[in-house]
Amino acid sequence: MKFIILTVFFIFSSITLTHSQVSYKADNIEAYELYEELRCLVCQNQSLLDSDAPLALDLKKLVLDKLEEGKSKEEIKLFLVERYGEFILLKPTFTIKNILLWVGPLIFVIFGFFTTFIFLRKNPLIKEENVNLTNIEKDKLKKIIDRELKE
Amino acid sequence: MKKIYSSLPLVFFFILVIFFFRQLILKEDPSELPSVLIDKSLPIIKLEKLAEYKLFNRENLLMLKEPSLINVWSSWCAPCKVEHEFLLAMSAKYNIKIFGINYKDDKKDAMKVLKLSGNPFYAIGRDEDGIQSINLGVYGVPETFVIDANGNIRYRHVGPILEYDMKNTILPILNSIK
Repeated sequence: MKFIILTVFFIFSSITLTHSQVSYKADNIEAYELYEELRCLVCQNQSLLDSDAPLALDLKKLVLDKLEEGKSKEEIKLFLVERYGEFILLKPTFTIKNILLWVGPLIFVIFGFFTTFIFLRKNPLIKEENVNLTNIEKDKLKKIIDRELKE
Repeated sequence: MKKIYSSLPLVFFFILVIFFFRQLILKEDPSELPSVLIDKSLPIIKLEKLAEYKLFNRENLLMLKEPSLINVWSSWCAPCKVEHEFLLAMSAKYNIKIFGINYKDDKKDAMKVLKLSGNPFYAIGRDEDGIQSINLGVYGVPETFVIDANGNIRYRHVGPILEYDMKNTILPILNSIK
């Protein structure tokens, strides 16, 4: 029974794969890279490459046409930024306006290390003077370790 | 010193609350893109004629010397049907010239809509493959642009114009740039 159910699921899951749409294939690397770097404005967290939205298909066609005209990657990006704004670039530009976006994570990491350092330094368990054991304790510890090792 | 560190999470929490609250109050749709063409001159758009309806281009809009609207619409777009009556109201009641861009539409379907629901447009151009609308930064239908007397884009409205939008944004903007 389980086998039948699984088989049915697998058969249907393949249907979605075979259902393909019109696609503007990226025959050359430049087009492929541009598809990856440009945002589909309909499904906003997908690149053009991932998206089959009608507008994404139009934009892909436009990219191909422009490349055929001999436009460079940068020119095409600029063309689209002039019309849709920087939002269309999946990778934000490194400018003053975006500096927090780029440096922000680094600031958080540094801040994290800093607080961890302070927290650890203040923790009395880790302080060295507290690790000094008496002779009896040392013997006890040795016995425990030996026992563990034997097992 | 210790107190400051232990209160940091709370501080972060309140900063987050401020951000969330702002979004809640502003009621902005975060997926709505601001137009980069605001206060810029209308780009060149080459449209095709739709049957007997008057065609327009950039020069026609510039020659008007009065504020006008450009509305991107399609017969297959449901929100366009919702805003249709308000477009009709604006063109008939308020005497505003609306230029329609028929986006990726079938000729017959487009004409059917205009015949059945009325024609709010002063002139219409067809953008059959949607490439011309890309020049305007259109990313969905309907979209409406407010153009001033000098042919500059002053405002972009994404989505249908409802009565509220018409009375509180579109008409006041048109009045302010007259």
